[in-house]
Amino acid sequence: MSFWVNSLSVGIVLGTPLAYAALGELIAERAGVMNLGVEGMMLMGAVVGFIVAVNTHSAVAGFAAAAAAGAALAFLHALMTIGLRVNQIVMGLTLTILGAGLSAYIGTGYSGRRPEVNISAIPIPGLSSLPVLGKVLFAHDVFAYAVPFLALAIWFLLYRTRLGLWLRAAGEQPGAADASGVPVFLIRYVAVIVGGALAGLAGAYFSVVYTQGWAEGMTNGRGWIAIALVIFGTWDPIWVLLGALLFGFVDGLNFELQGIGVPVSTHLLAMMPYVFTLVVLVATWTRMRHRHVGMPEALGLAYEREAR
Amino acid sequence: MGVSLRLERRMGAPLALRIAAPVLAVIAGLVAGGIVMALGGHDPIDAYISVWEGSLGSTDGLQSTLIKATPLVLTGLAVATALRVGLWNIGGEGQLIAGAIAATGTGLYATVLPAPLLLVAMILAGCVGGAAWAALAAIPRALIGLNEIIVTLFMNYIAILFMDYLIFGPWGDPKAFGFAYSRALPDGTSLPLLPGTGVHIGILLAVVVALGAWWLVERTPWGFSVRVAGGNPRAAEYLGLGMTRRLVVVLAISGAIAGLAGAIELTGVTSRLQEGISVNYGYSGVLIAFLARGRLLAVGVAAFLFAALVVGSYALQTTGVAQPIATIIQALIIVFLLAGDAVLAFRLRVTRSPLVSEVAAAGGRP
Repeated sequence: MSFWVNSLSVGIVLGTPLAYAALGELIAERAGVMNLGVEGMMLMGAVVGFIVAVNTHSAVAGFAAAAAAGAALAFLHALMTIGLRVNQIVMGLTLTILGAGLSAYIGTGYSGRRPEVNISAIPIPGLSSLPVLGKVLFAHDVFAYAVPFLALAIWFLLYRTRLGLWLRAAGEQPGAADASGVPVFLIRYVAVIVGGALAGLAGAYFSVVYTQGWAEGMTNGRGWIAIALVIFGTWDPIWVLLGALLFGFVDGLNFELQGIGVPVSTHLLAMMPYVFTLVVLVATWTRMRHRHVGMPEALGLAYEREAR
Repeated sequence: MGVSLRLERRMGAPLALRIAAPVLAVIAGLVAGGIVMALGGHDPIDAYISVWEGSLGSTDGLQSTLIKATPLVLTGLAVATALRVGLWNIGGEGQLIAGAIAATGTGLYATVLPAPLLLVAMILAGCVGGAAWAALAAIPRALIGLNEIIVTLFMNYIAILFMDYLIFGPWGDPKAFGFAYSRALPDGTSLPLLPGTGVHIGILLAVVVALGAWWLVERTPWGFSVRVAGGNPRAAEYLGLGMTRRLVVVLAISGAIAGLAGAIELTGVTSRLQEGISVNYGYSGVLIAFLARGRLLAVGVAAFLFAALVVGSYALQTTGVAQPIATIIQALIIVFLLAGDAVLAFRLRVTRSPLVSEVAAAGGRP
């Protein structure tokens, strides 16, 4: 029993950064810009957030700096793909490698250190003492609590506000949107930068809260899982959130299984999230390939006003 | 006169500009990397002098550069070959490791073969291992159109973990006391050295493979059909070129090239399967293919340049500059190259149109 409770609880902790990164990527993709640099932006967020948290002893400053670092890399992506119309795939891959290199470079000398900050779990009075559910759902930190509200807020923004309509229009029919006065370029810039800030926060969650340490390449492909989650969640924030929690759970299961000492190599157990992602992706894509549910029509295409 | 500015696509930039762009991108990348070092409080001029002396400027450095260039030529070729059919093989890292695993397995278990034959068998096994790993990733792409970037990428992590499983588990060296490497391979399974040097013959293999891949893709009817398929998948389908099989075959060839890199690193450099047998060679291969603009022969030049940067950056560590600076400079070079391409692809057109008032003054209708 406690095994499952622990797995689910750890799953929410590990699903939280995935949700931040995936929701960020969702915003950018709904505006029509694919950013394959999530892994790089997360690593930059992780290292910058960690360094700032170590030196200022302030978690808030760390997270703010992490968001700024993610946003800065995203701005480069936006400048190149929206401004200069560079191929989004090529630039995204380059961004991932740039982020990995930069984070390793500035993080030299910080491995082994610990941030003297405390992002403690805030058990919700009453609810947290419920059996099972209390520990799984109501004994987390503020970042985990914020996740469902973030997903709901993005859902509301996308489907219930004029700004959301504009953002979706920029991703579906940028030409038509532009003709009817929607500031397509501005919206795409902002969407990509906000997405980068969320990826930066996700990275800092790993380094400042979860492992409380910095190691080169520490996100280990979680940025790519976030990108896969957007496909898995058919570009819908609520499904993306649920997907993130599911993947967090699979990730958590791996640690809990190692913890109780199942007679399987830890290396084979650690494959689980990646194999699971692949299997789920294949299944999702088989189901949706004839009807690309939710995939923004102009995703990956630079908007050229002159070619309208 | 009213003046308006607009960006328009142009049909191909002048040749001189197209040649100058990568050169300028490399220079800009080095300058920007220098700025990064200066921001960290290091003297970039000193640093670049160390890079030069540690790589191309000394015999030892040059030899190290050639050794380092070998896997980079191959992973760059792997990416560039797949790009010819419009496939993004981001799985070079995993395919290299799959190749190294297959070669190690052959070396540890096919010991009935005499040493020189065993070495050949290991190299071939490396190609097969890489090809199989890549083909596995190509199947979802070919059958249901699932994006190969994500699939090849996840398979990198799986391959690395599988290698870890082997070297910490069944293939682990019992005398390694928890260090991460496999048992030693049989004697005589090391690649021979080029006469009079410390450089193994892997670089020759890489050159042969590069020429072979170039010939296959650029000079054979099959290569032509592949290039058509890459340039225009719809036209290829109308022409009755079976795309599904071609995608799998090309990605398998691409994987075989990366797998060969794994077998060469194993038999030429590490002589055991071990963690860090690939130092992001697969990812560097992606950047190298970009810098070479997917041209198979230009891959060699780009790989040599990147190898010099990496080898030079090891020398840098004595000056206090962290080694990842090489990765940063590589990525920055590509950023500048992409920006340069974008600038070349468009031209700023200044159009002058007469104002309404001027047209009216001339007696015409606007």
